Amino acid sequence: MAMAHGTRVQYEPVAEIGGGAYGTVYKARDTESGQFVALKSVRVQTDQNGLPSSTVREVALLRRLEQFDHPNVVRLMDVCATQRSDQETKVTLVFEHVDQDLKTYLERAPAPGLSPGRIKDLMKQLLCGLAFLHSNRVMHRDLKPENILVTSQGQVKLADFGLARIYSCHMALTPVVVTLWYRPPEVLLQSSYATPVDIWSTGCIFAEMFRRKPLFCGESEMDQLGKIFEVVGLPPEEEWPTDVTLSRKNFPPLMARPITDFVPEINEQGAQLLLKMLTFDPLKRISALNALEHLYFHDEETLIETKS
Amino acid sequence: MFSSLFSSEERLPLILKTTTVDYILGLCTFLLLRRVFSSTDEPGVVLQGRRLSTQSSDAMTVAFHEDGGTCIAGTTIFFSFCKPLNVGFHLHSLQALVPSLLQREIATALEKLGLISDRTYAWEMFLEMVRSQAQYRFPNADLPLHFTDATRAILVNWIIQVHEMMNFQEDTLYLAIHLLNLSLRLIKVTTTNLQLLGMVCLFLAAKKEESLLPEVSFLCYLMDNTYTKQQLLRMERKVLCGLKFNLSHCAPSHFLSLLAAVARCSAMVLSMARYLLELSLLEGQCVTFSPLELAGASLCLARLVLQEPSTPEGDAAWCLVSSIHFGSEATLRKIMNILASVAAKADIQEPNATFVKFSSLATMHVSRHPGLIDASSLLLECT
Repeated sequence: MAMAHGTRVQYEPVAEIGGGAYGTVYKARDTESGQFVALKSVRVQTDQNGLPSSTVREVALLRRLEQFDHPNVVRLMDVCATQRSDQETKVTLVFEHVDQDLKTYLERAPAPGLSPGRIKDLMKQLLCGLAFLHSNRVMHRDLKPENILVTSQGQVKLADFGLARIYSCHMALTPVVVTLWYRPPEVLLQSSYATPVDIWSTGCIFAEMFRRKPLFCGESEMDQLGKIFEVVGLPPEEEWPTDVTLSRKNFPPLMARPITDFVPEINEQGAQLLLKMLTFDPLKRISALNALEHLYFHDEETLIETKS
Repeated sequence: MFSSLFSSEERLPLILKTTTVDYILGLCTFLLLRRVFSSTDEPGVVLQGRRLSTQSSDAMTVAFHEDGGTCIAGTTIFFSFCKPLNVGFHLHSLQALVPSLLQREIATALEKLGLISDRTYAWEMFLEMVRSQAQYRFPNADLPLHFTDATRAILVNWIIQVHEMMNFQEDTLYLAIHLLNLSLRLIKVTTTNLQLLGMVCLFLAAKKEESLLPEVSFLCYLMDNTYTKQQLLRMERKVLCGLKFNLSHCAPSHFLSLLAAVARCSAMVLSMARYLLELSLLEGQCVTFSPLELAGASLCLARLVLQEPSTPEGDAAWCLVSSIHFGSEATLRKIMNILASVAAKADIQEPNATFVKFSSLATMHVSRHPGLIDASSLLLECT
């Protein structure tokens, strides 16, 4: 499992880190720079027409994002395609390696958890990264604490974005265990979806930063939806998507409960923003850019201004 | 190597009769339903409830010219119309007024062209397009020693023909030539493999942009089976690794469609500008210009050549689009001079593929327009 450029091995594997849902990820050392990197390989079925266009497009899109050098997005340092057989090509993506994800960061935080200021900073960085991806027509689709990296300096870096599509195109048969906890209603209902999916997940993560445990821990799609409605209430009939098979009648008529029942430590502005992220109708859900302009982030600036 | 290239060129009409091509052409016909936009529709769209940033980034892209007359070479005549408008408003009030108008127009145009599905990020996307397009110019027009400008022109002309035959989209061609320009500088390729490299660049561009792809075996057939399928796929991996999968490009054709939509240009002006822009692909020296400069210059030259009678609406729209800074006056003039002289002699010897393409009815015969013959002298008059 080493990637060679010409005859020289450039990346020496050091350890296996996480058997991610999509295959093994290796920590490796770049023999040129001495830096640690994360190697993610995708084995792509190739026919006689070479690399499938979906793979070419997705990887090219990730490469394009690299030009912007966004601080809240993990660096993609190299990509290589090597032929394994007539039917298979291996595409290796070389990412910068960050030791810690948000899940371990939250676990390691001493009681009583993260300070409100720290949460605000993390959220701001997370939304900056998302706004950047969304304005470049990239959605993450699988945002969760495990793929939000936090460097030792406290810098948030989104990882694994855009991979969902690269994998799903060619590894549909792999038995993949994915968590439902951060999935928005439209995905659970198998309706059409777009960038608002990531905002829902961000809302779940926002709540989790205060709670230090997930907000909705469903065990199946139905169960997950039920748990969501227990908090945000059953949406009105006219908001229920028309292109889905699951009927609204399958759920008990629940009223929304105050979000502070579930996230007691959150302040008023934070609660407002959280509700705008956990809006059932994806079209009414707040966008990443608008979320960044929300009052929740404004009072921090005014505080700093008055201090100085 | 070029013997095979030329022989395949000669064979094109013959090949077109084969069943494989019928099949591919049949499959590709729906691709002909290109993104069409009407240049007269009213914008009439309400911006989503979002505060549009009118900060430094706007100032960077949208340069306002106090003296409209110095704005852009070749547009001087139109700015005489704009002057009363400028006098009526103070510059700062115009600046306050126009960016939001321009933002709305750009968003509408992007939407119409199918480049965005969601208006929320339209202006940011446009600013990003303008910001990033500058990187797609090359510092110089130098090529590896064994590869001259003339050789390049022959190869590009051949790629244009294959592209046309496949009914691919316009963007695919611009991407293919960009990948070729990059590959020639990043990958070592022998003279015998140049044609293969050209084909792989077109194939990769199609993989990125097109929904229907030709078979590799067919591509080999088009090259007279000079190369095997394995050689083609090996070259594909070589290019992908050499470019590190960096296939991004900001096609000048995007900018042209966008500018023309905002400027409410007639179909004739757009067709002429597209012809001039495509001619720039054949000119090795044009790689040193950015996509926006090339698109802006093509549009200015097309307007100058066609001299369409002005209308108040058209003049106002042109005034608005000119608030986007395409490039320096000297650069635009340089490009217009190159394109004018190329267009004037495009059919003198053997007409190039672009000339033939734009002499058809569908393209309004623009390449045969008499105005092109002395476009250079028209440019001189404008100084």
